[in-house]
Amino acid sequence: MIYQISVPGLVADVEEIRVLEWHDGIGHEFDAGDLIVELETHKALVEVRAGQRGVLRQILVEEGNWQKIGFPLCLMSDTPSEPLPESVESARDLLVAFEIT
Amino acid sequence: MSLSNHASSIDALRTMMLIRAFEATLARRRDHGFQLLSAGEEAVAVGLCGVLADDDQLLTSGRSIAPALARGLDPARVMAELLGKASGFNKGKGGRGHLAAPHNGFFGAHAVVGGNISIAAGVALSRQLAAAPGIVAILFGDGACGAGALHESLNIAAIWKLPLLFVCNNNQLSVATPRATALAPKLLSDLAHTFGVPSRTVDGMDVFEVARAAGEAVAGIRAGQGPAFLECISERFGSHSTTARETRSQADLSSLRSRCPIARYGASLRAAGLLDDAGFRELEEEISTIMARVVDFADASTMPDAAEVLTDVL
Amino acid sequence: MFSEMPKENDATVKMYFREAIIRALREEMRDDLNIVLLGQDIGAFGGSYREFDGLYAEFGPQRVRDMPVAEAAMVGVGVGAAAAGHRSVVSITYMDFLMLGFDPLINYAAKLRYKTGGQLNAPVVVKTTAGARGQGVAHSQCLEAWLMSVPGLKVVAPSTPADAYGLLKAALRETGPVVYVDHKRLFPIPGDVPIGEEITPIGHAATRRVGVDLTITTHSFMTRVALEAAELLAAENISAEVIDLRSLAPLDMDTVTASVRRTGVLLTLEEGQMTCGVGAEVATRVRERLGRAGGALRIARLGALPAPVSSNPVLEAACLPDAHRVAAAARALLAGSVTEVLADTSTTHLWSTS
Repeated sequence: MIYQISVPGLVADVEEIRVLEWHDGIGHEFDAGDLIVELETHKALVEVRAGQRGVLRQILVEEGNWQKIGFPLCLMSDTPSEPLPESVESARDLLVAFEIT
Repeated sequence: MSLSNHASSIDALRTMMLIRAFEATLARRRDHGFQLLSAGEEAVAVGLCGVLADDDQLLTSGRSIAPALARGLDPARVMAELLGKASGFNKGKGGRGHLAAPHNGFFGAHAVVGGNISIAAGVALSRQLAAAPGIVAILFGDGACGAGALHESLNIAAIWKLPLLFVCNNNQLSVATPRATALAPKLLSDLAHTFGVPSRTVDGMDVFEVARAAGEAVAGIRAGQGPAFLECISERFGSHSTTARETRSQADLSSLRSRCPIARYGASLRAAGLLDDAGFRELEEEISTIMARVVDFADASTMPDAAEVLTDVL
Repeated sequence: MFSEMPKENDATVKMYFREAIIRALREEMRDDLNIVLLGQDIGAFGGSYREFDGLYAEFGPQRVRDMPVAEAAMVGVGVGAAAAGHRSVVSITYMDFLMLGFDPLINYAAKLRYKTGGQLNAPVVVKTTAGARGQGVAHSQCLEAWLMSVPGLKVVAPSTPADAYGLLKAALRETGPVVYVDHKRLFPIPGDVPIGEEITPIGHAATRRVGVDLTITTHSFMTRVALEAAELLAAENISAEVIDLRSLAPLDMDTVTASVRRTGVLLTLEEGQMTCGVGAEVATRVRERLGRAGGALRIARLGALPAPVSSNPVLEAACLPDAHRVAAAARALLAGSVTEVLADTSTTHLWSTS
């Protein structure tokens, strides 16, 4: 199964965020609770943690780049070698927990 | 500088006499304008300025003539400014309420009651940041002691240990309002206690006492101990301003005159053998000569061109 | 000036509004060691919008100073320090509280050069955040119009991170007092800022959108609302020109007048009150400049309804202009159904279209 993580709708008025740091690279398997990526809003840091196990397959927004709310950040999958789709529309949302600091 | 030596004592008397004569000359003119005078209160300004050094800065309220003269500003240019002449310190554009000569250590007057106090704290902060020598003194009246500006500035000065001397010239009347009906503290110097700022109250009609207390306060500030507060209790001979009605009785006013700080100090100098009749006459003549020059200069000076209305705005 | 100056080097970096502010302050504070910042919670806390983040760590407590909640003293101390040689930035977190500092700002700072005959001046920047976003009647006001008429005071209002940076740098090089007004709702919106040092000159508006059918003049957050309205209008083949004033005192009337001369139709837009507002001044000056030569000018003003701005989301939304209302006003103006809109509640027909 292919999953995507898209930018969570965080607070009112935030339309766009910056990717701060990806924790670990392509191929890394994250357990539930692991920190996947840190995002930055205009006043807070957002830690995006895995809500389920998954392998990071493709980073769509590099560190220092921007993404709009609701748009995808990366693709993940259950297993390391599942073929990736042409487009991300077919990907389901990965279960994530996020914490704003 | 204390008043314990001959020269400075005579200087103090001369300056008080100059202020008295200057203001009397001004008040007699038809074009005297809106003025706040200091007859009776001269000892406060003169005692304070007697302990200020060249690189100190003095800020005042709208009752600025006595402090400006005490600070050593050229009386001719002070008169010119008061009369709106272009040769005045402020090019005639400020008048008494905003008289300024920062290069002479007189950062300036400001006519809003209490309005110059937080400004003075800012000037003191700049001094502190620059590690510059010199302290800042802010002179205000009892009328400013109910204003938040004073309390806010005392607080900031205390927290940051600013090199700032707060001098309250408490002439016990704010226009027509006696101190007791407007201000809860009996001693205005108590206001400083709340903020842990050392303070004293002295007799503002005694120039020697004012100078001594101011000297001690200033020494502490120069030593880096932070701000201090000095209350000088005085009495003014005239009403609040040249347009304000007098509220006191003739009897009160006559009895006031008997407490004149100039007569009192003159008498103490005579008693100490520092001044005799001849010396006194010399002082009077000196002041006469100065005032003649002042009036000539002011009368010969012209008003600013109307086009000056739009200069120095931005 | 009809539009932004073309840049030799268009290289930019996208950043948040607050980052643009920090960058301007950091550059100027490194260059001029006499700049100090005064504010509430601006030190280790970095400011309520994190708009001073990192400055305390770099410049220390001498130059980045936390003050108690005492806006009158904050402004007074900043003004006095500036007059004595230490250029100050006084941060007033909410523009609603700037009123407490009006005495030192208006009675002293704005008048200092004049009243001393040029002997003293106060290079102080009062930086304050205006605007409504659910925080209630005393935390929502846009009061910049009140300050435009003070002789001796300059007033600027950036609407983008690039101008947050450029105008703050410009303000920090002025020799007199400047009030720099940003807006709560601008902080979440990133934008491109030139990589090289660039100063936005004070007194120059920016044409944000070129159009031919009407001119919308605006500033601050309402610039974004105007652009949104312009998109709505474009779908109806109405071409709106949007001018972001950027500088409220002095106003760039050359740019505005040139635009209205071309379009013949002016809609002024602000979040603040219309009565004696920014738009009132712009509209009057356009009339004065164009007069009969302007032909039959059609002018309307749009701003908040004459009520305090409540934290209640229904009431706040009802009070303030949004893209739909701006578009409705533009349509009404172009249809000729209003020639001049007065700032009283009888103009409810402008609110009926959504």
